[in-house]
Amino acid sequence: MSKVIVVTSGKGGVGKTTSSAAFASGLAAKGHKTAVIDFDVGLRNLDLIMGVERRVVYDFVNVINGESTLKQALIKDKRVENLFILPASQTRDKEALTKEGVESVINELKEDGFDFIVCDSPAGIEKGAFMALYFADEAIIVTNPEVSSVRDSDRILGILQSRSKAAKEGRTVKEHLLITRYSPDRVEDGDMLSMDDIVEILSVPLIGVIPESDTVLQASNSGNPVILDNESPAGKAYIDVVGRFLGEDIPLRFTKAEEKKGFFKKLFG
Amino acid sequence: MILKGEMSMLNVLHLQTIDVDKIYTELKMKRDVSPQFFMRIPIIIDCAGLVLDDTKNTISDLFGLFSSLKKAIHELGFTLIGIRNQPESMKKLLLNSGWTIMPNNAKVKPSKSVNKANQEQKNSKEKQNVISTEPPTKGEPEQKTIESTGKIINKPSLMIDRPVRSGQQIYAAGSDLTVLSATSAGSEVMADGSIHVYGALRGRVLAGVKGNESARIFCQSLQAELIVIAGRYQLLDESDTNLIGKPAMIHLNGEKLIIEPLA
Repeated sequence: MSKVIVVTSGKGGVGKTTSSAAFASGLAAKGHKTAVIDFDVGLRNLDLIMGVERRVVYDFVNVINGESTLKQALIKDKRVENLFILPASQTRDKEALTKEGVESVINELKEDGFDFIVCDSPAGIEKGAFMALYFADEAIIVTNPEVSSVRDSDRILGILQSRSKAAKEGRTVKEHLLITRYSPDRVEDGDMLSMDDIVEILSVPLIGVIPESDTVLQASNSGNPVILDNESPAGKAYIDVVGRFLGEDIPLRFTKAEEKKGFFKKLFG
Repeated sequence: MILKGEMSMLNVLHLQTIDVDKIYTELKMKRDVSPQFFMRIPIIIDCAGLVLDDTKNTISDLFGLFSSLKKAIHELGFTLIGIRNQPESMKKLLLNSGWTIMPNNAKVKPSKSVNKANQEQKNSKEKQNVISTEPPTKGEPEQKTIESTGKIINKPSLMIDRPVRSGQQIYAAGSDLTVLSATSAGSEVMADGSIHVYGALRGRVLAGVKGNESARIFCQSLQAELIVIAGRYQLLDESDTNLIGKPAMIHLNGEKLIIEPLA
């Protein structure tokens, strides 16, 4: 049974594309045929983050308009088996997306045997974001531990539960909260919202906490999803997220502030 | 298509006289107390207590008066649904000109004794026409008239079992509102009756929207941005209360919103 998962947030710049790339790669690495679609028509980023920007011939809008087949547009990832990327158009805008067009692409992916279809949503609550969430069975709400991000996540949750196709058909979209750019030290200092605060405000089950990490920038620059970086705490946290999504019971990591080591302790361990 | 029987509340205008001007004035006063509540409410005319001066009014005169009354009621913004316990002589005429005749239910038929009626009229203090709300009767001998003060809550509470998210608006028309989760900052919850939130109350909360001054607001954690009861509002920031973040109950006392701890 194929599942459509939207990665959305409302707020911009919180880590939707980074998370979509990591999450889709993680699912594929576990043996599931996975497609990740960039819904940010006109401001596409997914192809960059996944390192396939020089292999884009046809895009999502071409497929919707019948200018190419889905197979011609899908880009097969060279590092991870079972992973396919459907890039967005850079020259057109979100008006090019239609419900019928998006539905037909998603249905074709399902018929092609894809287990998971990850929809990387653009920021905002307008057409692009709406199209990305409309056909979702499950949703990952990416939130930074910061007040405006939390408020915007709340807004997109409301839209998800009232205007998605599932909502119209009386089903609920399963919600998962993914906190990104978390800094346990700053939480302990009282500067940053804690994960408990965020869960309390949003009332959505937590699927994971991704720590703030320099490795994320390195990953974007090199075009390798951060989950493929074995040294990165963020990458490891994404691996945990994929595990939890697939039903494993994995405790949270990277959420406690490190003990401040004194000089001698640092010397002698 | 499904044909179902239902109970619903009706507003009944009990006539003692057919003095259209007097009725218009009294009805207007009543309406102006709570104009939003009375806007377009369905109303039926009950003539059980109507005292007619037969010597003065012929049938066609009477009909003219009823027509004027119909016009006056419509002008004031009420929706006239029908008439009941009408004088027997009027029935056919009313029926033929499109009036809806509701089932009669009065024990006492309209009195035709003029002198006695006049005497009664002079002696009694309150010979005003009364608006009441009561369930439509099915052969009930006794009618109770309840003075309406905009307190009518005739539907079960609207129950919301999911968080009310930022940007969402919930309006419980004609009833209380119960939310079984929290309401978010940037949301609006409104009800004609009271509002009960079994969780944190953030965002805006408006109770007694149509003028019900006895509506209350209950919550487990008071963090609302704006609190309104029957049109009187207050920003939480400007409230002198130490109950922020605590279980609270808010009601209207005169023009002031009183915030108290939930017992």
